[in-house]
Amino acid sequence: MSRYWFLMVGGLVLLIMILAPWAVPLREFDGTGYLLNPLGVMNPKGLTLPEGLTFNWLGVAFGLWILLLLAASAALFVPNAETRARVLYILGGIGIAIFAIEALLFYQAINTLNDAAVAAGARRPPLRRFALSLGIYAGFFYSLGLLLLARMQLPGGLAFLVRFRGVVVPIVSLLLAVVIGAVVVAILRPGLGTQGVEGLGLRELIAGKLDLVTYTFQILFSPILNVTGIFTSLGFATPLIFTGLAVAFGFRAGMFNIGAPGQLTMGALFAMLAGVYLPLPGWLLLPVAIAAAALGGALWGGIVGWLKARFGANEVINTIMMNYIAASVLLFMIAANEYRFFGQTVRLPFKAEGFEGRSEEMQEGARIPLMINIIAPNGTFSWALPLAVIASLGVYYALRRLDLGRRLLFSLGALVLGFVVGGFLPGFPVTISSALASQLLNGSFLIAVLALLFYNFYLFRTSAGYELRATGLAPKAAEYAGVNLRRKMILAMVISGALAGLAATHYVLGAGMDGTYRLKTAIPSSVGFDGIAVALMGQNMPLGIFLSATLFGVLLAGGVSLNAQLGISNQIIQVLQALIILFIAVGGLLPRYFTDPLRAAQVETEAKAEQEARQAKSAPAAGD
Amino acid sequence: MEIVIALFFSTLRQAAPLLLTSLGGLFSERSGVVNIALEGMILFGAAAAAITVNRIEVATGGLEAFWIPWVGLLAGATVGGLVGLVHAVASIKYRADQIVSGTAINIAALGAPSIVLQVLYNNTSTSKEVQNRLPNVDLGPSSVSILVILAFLLVPVVWWVLFKTPWGLRLRAVGEHPEAAETMGVNVIRMRYTAVILSGVLAGIAGAYLSIGFLNQFIRAMSAGAGFIALAALIFGKWHPFGVLGATLLFGFAQALAIQLQGGDILPATIVQALPFILTMLVLAGFIGRSRPPAAVGKPYDK
Repeated sequence: MSRYWFLMVGGLVLLIMILAPWAVPLREFDGTGYLLNPLGVMNPKGLTLPEGLTFNWLGVAFGLWILLLLAASAALFVPNAETRARVLYILGGIGIAIFAIEALLFYQAINTLNDAAVAAGARRPPLRRFALSLGIYAGFFYSLGLLLLARMQLPGGLAFLVRFRGVVVPIVSLLLAVVIGAVVVAILRPGLGTQGVEGLGLRELIAGKLDLVTYTFQILFSPILNVTGIFTSLGFATPLIFTGLAVAFGFRAGMFNIGAPGQLTMGALFAMLAGVYLPLPGWLLLPVAIAAAALGGALWGGIVGWLKARFGANEVINTIMMNYIAASVLLFMIAANEYRFFGQTVRLPFKAEGFEGRSEEMQEGARIPLMINIIAPNGTFSWALPLAVIASLGVYYALRRLDLGRRLLFSLGALVLGFVVGGFLPGFPVTISSALASQLLNGSFLIAVLALLFYNFYLFRTSAGYELRATGLAPKAAEYAGVNLRRKMILAMVISGALAGLAATHYVLGAGMDGTYRLKTAIPSSVGFDGIAVALMGQNMPLGIFLSATLFGVLLAGGVSLNAQLGISNQIIQVLQALIILFIAVGGLLPRYFTDPLRAAQVETEAKAEQEARQAKSAPAAGD
Repeated sequence: MEIVIALFFSTLRQAAPLLLTSLGGLFSERSGVVNIALEGMILFGAAAAAITVNRIEVATGGLEAFWIPWVGLLAGATVGGLVGLVHAVASIKYRADQIVSGTAINIAALGAPSIVLQVLYNNTSTSKEVQNRLPNVDLGPSSVSILVILAFLLVPVVWWVLFKTPWGLRLRAVGEHPEAAETMGVNVIRMRYTAVILSGVLAGIAGAYLSIGFLNQFIRAMSAGAGFIALAALIFGKWHPFGVLGATLLFGFAQALAIQLQGGDILPATIVQALPFILTMLVLAGFIGRSRPPAAVGKPYDK
């Protein structure tokens, strides 16, 4: 049965190769492109390529791909599983090699021409926004599929997939979300370059749509291609790391914390109060303001935890209610200066002058510097950060003998020492482009990394964290083992809230919202909900949370240029997030041996038994 | 006196969408499916109604006719029902965590309308104003939308359906003890599907009320937590139609009061607006009488 499914996939790939553009050597700013396809160029808007640029190899490549598809289809029916696997491995390898050669030929041709034109005195390169496109990617993904299929032919293939279900489910969910997002975009927008052009054939129309879809996702993922984009992405990712950790921490302890928006808001409010009003010296003010952000969130989460522990009140509803209460408190504090209570006038000092609802500016000492100013203050590369990281990691791994507490203490000391010493070492001057200098990635990214480390250590390396996870997995069993459930509930919500509250350091103390060091009523508290997507996609693992937060950061950064270039609302990111959450919730529509832990374990046990049986069979033969 | 009358009608207008949504949620939760997605269903319904009416108006060249808003209402209800279907498939067929699934729908409801709005109106936050609003009914000193009347008439109907018909008995049984219900020959899966889709339809109607009954356009996030307040009303009203009526009236009153107090000198509006949420938390903690949910709520049913 699955054999015929794969044949259908092969047919689909062939169809995409025939219909979709393979590569786009030239694209206008509005997205209209010159679409290459082995069956002929599609160019409805009549763009002209510079002379001497040919892509004759496309026809040959297409022939190779057809041969590959035929060979793979035939290989599926080879009776011996091992031979089948071997053939599929080879075919997959060949496919990836073809893809690499195609990419090389394409970019080489373009770059040669562009370089020549610039050398000849052109003001800017004649070919812009060039990229490979869906036709070539289809072959690449098909080849990857072949490799995976080859692994599946060998014994234990299914168990191999099931063992990695923590990665398989999020990736499948991401792909499904991308497909649905692509369908939505294709339905809502006319194809690129086909609007207003008369007499187009069906092939051009379909190619225009497929080009639109491909270009949309190319823009969305484009920020990873340059340093400025990476900075922007990490800037967007910073609060997501915090809220993702907050939600994941709740999940680990068996609590669903939907209250991250409210906890973030309260953290922001506390950070603002500390950062604006506390009369402390500069070196003390910043740590206190950061702690205040954590405290605000911890308080807001802690109330819910206490209500659950004391009265058994459902934390889901309560955290939602607390979100709205926090929003009201924020409005009350900084939307207006004057209120009337039963005829009495009460004046609040928190709102700054002006019509906009915003707080006073943070004191100098409470501001978190931009990342670029930490890495290279005054245009000089500083050794402080790299040395601090190296020193602390070095000490951490050198002192493997000591117990965890001391080890952490020493490596923290090394961190501070490295930072101070590195700060005094002479750096070398670096040039920073204005685009990079204006990115809102700030030092709270480092706090986010520390929070990730804390999450990892606390949950997976300490007995308190072990108890917390046990509470989440089986509360009854944990209670019989002597865990105080009520205390754990409160503690879990306090820490979860504190993590969400720390997200405010990015917005308020680090000016991550719009570059001003103020708290505004427009603080994007819904980032707290996005944390749910981050936690689910990251499977509540520290590395997973970091990667999925970064992925969403990249998408958010790409969404800005998507809006600017194609006029597609960057809200599409939100829809993608929602779809990812939904698909992960339904286990990526995968069979139940993926989603059900018991059945997954059964698959692995069966595979192990099968392997042992085979070994037992071959052992006497080897012994002869 | 004028203020009292204004407050009374304002309460009715504010309570109606909460009531419709809450009654919908009542079906879903009584059948054992947590419906945290009500907020998103309202938004989808509101967007569908406003956009449909506007598209009809554009297609007919600004025609004003009695049937147009009803088509809009139908669109809102249908889209709400479809969203309900998504929630049902995820949480019943695929046994997804019902809260996760609901949250996904809520997040989608914040983003998806914007994409359509941008394509149709080149702006991500509002739709065009429509001419054809749902009709108002004159009630002496003031008038209210016909959906307000419908919402209040629905309360005894829902009570009768839930507590006086065999279908209602089965529905409650499915939410309390699905295995027992299945043994008695009740199709648990089908009951749950029906209930969740029904809750989506009612939330979609509430959304249509907001966009083409209360206002005349769709505004991004216009529900402003109405779905969650409706959920709170469900808890506050102890999962009973008349309790829900009381709770939504109270919450509607708090909202009406907050509007009336804007610029007044008794209490700041922001504080009054937070009241429903604080009240719900007090109920949950048991300070104002305990509220016990249906026993099987939130648990996927496995045959």
